[in-house]
Amino acid sequence: MAEELLEVRVEDLNVWIGDNHILKDVYMRAVPGTVTAVMGPSGSGKSTLIRVINRLIDLVPGSKVKGRVMIGKINVLESDPYMVRRRIGMVFQEPNPFPHMTIYENVAIGPRLHGLAREREEIDRIVEWALKKAQLWDEVKDRLDDYPYQLSGGQKQRLSLARALALKPRVLLLDEPTANIDPVSTVKVERSIIEYAKENMATVIIVTHTPQQAARISDNILFIYEGRVIEYGPTREVVLHPREELTRKFLGGEV
Amino acid sequence: MILRTGISFFTDTPAYPGADEVGGIGPSLLGTMWLGIVSTAIGIPLSVLTGIFIVEFRNHKLAKITKVFTHSLLEIPTVLIGMLVFLTIVVPTGHYSLLAGSIALVIVMLPYTMSYLERALDEVPRTYKEAGYSIGMTRKQVVFKVVLGIAKPGVAAGLLIGVAKGISETAPLLFTIGSARGDFPVSPMDLGKPGDAIPLLIFQFIQSPYENWHDLAWGASFVLTVIVLVTFALVKLVVREVKL
Ligand SMILES: Nc1ncnc2c1ncn2[C@@H]1O[C@H](COP(=O)(O)OP(=O)(O)O)[C@@H](O)[C@H]1O
Ligand SMILES: [Mg+2]
Repeated sequence: MAEELLEVRVEDLNVWIGDNHILKDVYMRAVPGTVTAVMGPSGSGKSTLIRVINRLIDLVPGSKVKGRVMIGKINVLESDPYMVRRRIGMVFQEPNPFPHMTIYENVAIGPRLHGLAREREEIDRIVEWALKKAQLWDEVKDRLDDYPYQLSGGQKQRLSLARALALKPRVLLLDEPTANIDPVSTVKVERSIIEYAKENMATVIIVTHTPQQAARISDNILFIYEGRVIEYGPTREVVLHPREELTRKFLGGEV
Repeated sequence: MILRTGISFFTDTPAYPGADEVGGIGPSLLGTMWLGIVSTAIGIPLSVLTGIFIVEFRNHKLAKITKVFTHSLLEIPTVLIGMLVFLTIVVPTGHYSLLAGSIALVIVMLPYTMSYLERALDEVPRTYKEAGYSIGMTRKQVVFKVVLGIAKPGVAAGLLIGVAKGISETAPLLFTIGSARGDFPVSPMDLGKPGDAIPLLIFQFIQSPYENWHDLAWGASFVLTVIVLVTFALVKLVVREVKL
């Protein structure tokens, strides 16, 4: 299947929530087949940025967005948010598989919802594929009809990842996906993310709480501070030779 | 007492006042069942839709008005609700009916079911709604597939409490169903006719001077208690808890 390559380009992005100016002239670019890490202190606007990309920001009362968020040739800010979200996967900070659906149903719901597959075998195949991609298959293949509460936090998070991957999103957004899970699951999630980006030429943007993680998995780093882009460049350069004083301080754990 | 009369307690009509036997509560039992079924059938969709409207459109003026309105129904004495249905349904149609009684019960149930329902819907963590939107769900799909799915046990509990409250009420039935305890309402067609219900029978018989009617009323009270308890137990069994 010839997959579309969708680059994400953010230009002149300004976001307000009520009277607060949250993002100021933010720009970034994320290329297919790569992982872009978004870093910055808590409250700097990282979550807001990725929620603009899939228009979840629409759910925030009093939010106002200006600028351009291009995915391929379309401006997300001028498109139908429901169409946009079908093509963009998201994993949240807190593992959130649907608690009233089985493990199987959690993964199958996306493809079913959008009519990607109708036959049971076809859906079975997608579910297996997505769970394998999320490195969860071996642990759950014998209990697909269990409910997520029986899983560990890390397993729940990989299930959330599988739910997103089942739609084969061209763009995958992750908001501190490993902040609340065990180290073993963290390694698995990181490996899945890199693999998914490379194998499918998908565009992956991950908000991360640690520079170490950014160094491990990303090709590029965007460092934001108080709603502004401070530094943006290839991971090696940003980590080894930060151009800005603020970046250096952040990497050294001072801000 | 029920042991003495056996199965006929559930199938007979009440005996004549002062007779040696007590008879049965057949028509009242059937009436209560119909009231339960019909008020549930009307009450469930009505409460669920109203609850969703109030919670999901909380900033909408009409939603706020609806909320205040349903909650204030709690303050209206149930006998007035009976009067209201008497004036708006019984008088225009010219006769008492089980249907009119069911409608009165729905109005009595509504504020109870609503307060439970609102809480259950409200308590669904936001992150699950966001997850729904993130895979491309529409608002309607998020409400029905995610919010309602997760809130189901709470919603069911609320509806049940409403129904249990409804079927044990006497006052809303006083002017609406007409205490017709000579005929058995067996088909849905009988809903348009007058009927009886267990609470009404208890209320009226316990005040009568007849020994045998008192006995019947006591037996009926026992049956009503069992019905309410069994309904609770059933729903507890059927509705699986959603663990987060
Ligand atoms: N729903 C919201 N309502 C009001 N303010 C918000 C909301 N979400 C985020 N903010 C504000 O936006 C700023 C950036 O938040 P966020 O994007 O979550 O930062 P980060 O993810 O980098 O910690 C914070 O000051 C926060 O208080
Ligand atoms: Mg955040």
